[in-house]
Amino acid sequence: MSFSLAQILLFIIAYLTGLFAVAHLADRGIIPERITRHPAVYVLSLGVFAGAMASNGVIALAYQYGYNFLLYYLGVVLMFVVAALLLFPLLRLCRVYQLASLADVLTFRFRSPLVGAAVTVAMCITLLPLLALQIQVVADSIHILAGDGAALSSGGPRHNRLALFFCVIITVFSILFGTRHVSSQYRNTGLVTAIAFESLVKLSALMVLLLAAVYSIFDGFDGLQQWLLQNPQIAGRLTQSIQGNDARIMLVIFFAGAVCMPHIFHMAFAENNDSRDLRSATWGLPLYLLLLSLPILPVAWAGIKLGHDLPMEYSGLAIGMALNSIPFSAAAFVAGLSAASATIIVTTLALANMCLNHLILPLRPLQIDREQTIYTQLKWLRRSLIAILIISGYIFFVTLDGRQSLSELALVAFTGTLQFLPGVVATPYWPKANRTGLLCGLAAGLGVWSFSMLLPLAGGDQPLWLTGLYRQLLGDSEKLWTAVALVSLLLNATVFVVVSLLTRTSKEERVAAEICSMDDQARPTRQVLSVYSAADFSQRLAPSLGQRTAETEVNRALEELQFTRDETRPYALRRLRARIEANLSGLLGPAVAHRIIERRIPFLPGAHADTEDIHLIERNLDQAQPQFTGLAADLDNLRRHHRETLDKLPIGACSIGSDGELLMWNQSMQQITGIAPTDVLGSLLGSITPPWGETLETFLYGDSDTALKTEVVVDKGPSRWIVLHKTPIDEGSNSSTVIMVEDITDFELLEEELLHNERLASIGRLAAGVAHEIGNPVTGIACLAQNLEYESDPEEIRYMAQDILKQTGRVTRIVESLMNFSHTGPQSAETKLAPTNLADCVDEAIHLLELDLEAKPVSFQNHCDREVVVLADSQRLLQVFINLLGNARDACDEEDAQIEITSLTIGDQVRVDVEDNGCGIPPELQSQVFEPFYTTKEPGAGTGLGLALVFSIMEDMNGKVQIASPISRGKNPGTRITLYLPRTTYGLFEL
Amino acid sequence: MYINRLLLLFAGVTLIFFPAIETWMFSSETAWYRPYQLWLLVVIGAYWNQRSRYPDEL
Repeated sequence: MSFSLAQILLFIIAYLTGLFAVAHLADRGIIPERITRHPAVYVLSLGVFAGAMASNGVIALAYQYGYNFLLYYLGVVLMFVVAALLLFPLLRLCRVYQLASLADVLTFRFRSPLVGAAVTVAMCITLLPLLALQIQVVADSIHILAGDGAALSSGGPRHNRLALFFCVIITVFSILFGTRHVSSQYRNTGLVTAIAFESLVKLSALMVLLLAAVYSIFDGFDGLQQWLLQNPQIAGRLTQSIQGNDARIMLVIFFAGAVCMPHIFHMAFAENNDSRDLRSATWGLPLYLLLLSLPILPVAWAGIKLGHDLPMEYSGLAIGMALNSIPFSAAAFVAGLSAASATIIVTTLALANMCLNHLILPLRPLQIDREQTIYTQLKWLRRSLIAILIISGYIFFVTLDGRQSLSELALVAFTGTLQFLPGVVATPYWPKANRTGLLCGLAAGLGVWSFSMLLPLAGGDQPLWLTGLYRQLLGDSEKLWTAVALVSLLLNATVFVVVSLLTRTSKEERVAAEICSMDDQARPTRQVLSVYSAADFSQRLAPSLGQRTAETEVNRALEELQFTRDETRPYALRRLRARIEANLSGLLGPAVAHRIIERRIPFLPGAHADTEDIHLIERNLDQAQPQFTGLAADLDNLRRHHRETLDKLPIGACSIGSDGELLMWNQSMQQITGIAPTDVLGSLLGSITPPWGETLETFLYGDSDTALKTEVVVDKGPSRWIVLHKTPIDEGSNSSTVIMVEDITDFELLEEELLHNERLASIGRLAAGVAHEIGNPVTGIACLAQNLEYESDPEEIRYMAQDILKQTGRVTRIVESLMNFSHTGPQSAETKLAPTNLADCVDEAIHLLELDLEAKPVSFQNHCDREVVVLADSQRLLQVFINLLGNARDACDEEDAQIEITSLTIGDQVRVDVEDNGCGIPPELQSQVFEPFYTTKEPGAGTGLGLALVFSIMEDMNGKVQIASPISRGKNPGTRITLYLPRTTYGLFEL
Repeated sequence: MYINRLLLLFAGVTLIFFPAIETWMFSSETAWYRPYQLWLLVVIGAYWNQRSRYPDEL
């Protein structure tokens, strides 16, 4: 049975068109998202690992190495079963920093464009044998189906033109669906679904071959078992090569391949952002590979039983042809075709991205054109690279001319990519690793690999000294690839470690190592940016990206972070910068993105470069909370408890970094200021909504650690009164200041209310005296008015009028005094300091007190200097003296009660002493007399507010009050209340 | 450093019992598909393990 070339060609086109259709339907959303986004699709797309090696190569491997062929799968199985060690950390890195390839990861970790370029070049070279392998499988299969199998075995001419045609079709498909999204941030649904579909096709085809082998060749499983019993040498071959270094090295090679091979990396990380999908893959992919590997041994044994003359890799085709069955032949061909096409598409796509990001863009800046965004240029560059890579693979295939078996080609490619394993392992686990060590290690490992494997593959000879070296080291028993893999990996790792230890690791690398490290949360530093608003970012980036692209990227980052364009908070701007760099990294690669951001939006060099971004660290810890276990969980709970305590504190608390950035703002601060923490955290203190920013800033940079009573005038609404305390926290580079804000507005209003009530109470007490005082002149006026009615003498009338005026003057004076005293109230709470004559004020107070007729007779003696002027609110000072003199009078006995008021000027202060010869105040009570509602008087006799108000008023007037008792020996020890007031003059105040 | 404890246990048990497992798996009297049975056990173990969230997962 054979097929014509036209038939085979049509079949290939039909199959790939079907694949196009699947990708197109998925891209258009015609295949529902619940299918395309299902974890099973992701798991199946990872089946790209099983390329033509899985459909064909492993059959020869099974024939040659027995059960060792399973190691090809088990390496990957092991990598996914222990995904927590490497895959999850890598997924985290790739997702957060938009890294799409191994070169991106290593460039990010080692902060060097050179690393990216070196890894890309090395990767392209190591992958050539793998690409050639895929092309060879399809080309040879076409050859066999066309009926030229015998020529294949005898090394006859090959259908290179058909292979070229196949490459062209694959190139078109790769370009159409692989470059739909320029950024690696978006999942390429069409590609993922198509590759998953190919994995299903591959599995189905191999299962058909299994059934064909078991039921058509061996007459069922019993027949197979019987045949094995009859051929013990076949069964014995299964275990013959399992011991020795081969197995271990093979396991390591394929274990490394699961993360180092660019096509697997691309499907695992670039096309997936969801860790749930990777979780499914930890068991899903091993299950898929188990099913995929099941048919291999029966197919290989069927091939042996048939005794066909084709290479063992094509036993599937041999079965179909032996049975003369078109479906079985087609299944065998489709298995190889689907495996090869999937591998070529994803590998070249991944390599094209790497070449673009690490070879093209760093050397050739994009042309900034207003009409054409850089996205279009990137698409075309990527398309060109895909074409170049597939053609390179074809040229390498033609160069090989079928001299090598599929398994040899696969081992060369996998051993080459094995050289990247030390770098990958060091990324999350070894912070001391540096770029010099990595490059030297890679050069050593790849050098050995090139001379020992790649050169002989391409027709060259291995240097004799290398052959001698292998014999010296490992003896004659080892196979060449085992020796090369072992020596190259050991040399690579040793050079990497030694050079890393001997050379300096840059600061940038250390920061990146911390970010990549699994046992550390990223420790972001709080550096100062050179831009001050989100809108400035576009202008800064425009020279590198073009105006339109810069606008698009900034808006995208703002949208992702849910910030607005007028954002000015330094914390927010730092996050915006990091987000834009991550997004650009997905677009242009980490090296170019880092260079653009460093050049256009640099941090200002300064003292705060090493200050940790506490707010961001806390945010990261909050997000990572479910991850903590054991002691870490306890510490996190403790942190949360302290955080909650601070947040719920009934006193406002805020923390300000040494650069003036707000690090903490608790709920009480929100209640006091009306500003939510989310609006201010990360802002500079001075930029907070007035008047709070200015108030806090003034206090922060002021000398005093305490501001007892500060009025904050708010635009809308009544003023607020606050007490401020601050304390510095010195933690080296993380020094900050904590400000406690106590809202005393209610207390202040209550105090005003009490003052008013006390004044009213005083007026009430004085009312009787006032009535009496007014009553006397009024009676006099009434008498004079009666006499006036009958008086006709003009002279008498004039005298009487003068008397009436005198009496009314007296009434007026009494009323004025009372009015003066009762003038202020809660509505005029503001203290108006003005020059006030001290002696006059004392006189006024004495006069008012003397109106109280029910009070004890007391001798008030005002000895104050008549010239002394103090800076005070006259009405409040009057209240002070009324309270003090009233208390003094109450403390005195009725006999010989004397109260003296004296003044003394001390510098720019005036000291006023009010002394009585009353009963005095015991020392143990002196500390309490200024407390509100404290009184020693009989119930109902006093409110207990007098001295408290005196204290409060004196503070308001920038004065002080002190108490001293006793001041003399004897029965009446007396009390001295001393007031200190600022001295002034009328002229000075006017100036 | 976050290391899944179950993974450590898995690695330890595999290391200790590897010779016994190898002998059992590749003994000449056994069925050819015996390694696949062990593989299936690994798949079941991996499924059971992934139900709890990985510590490094974001």
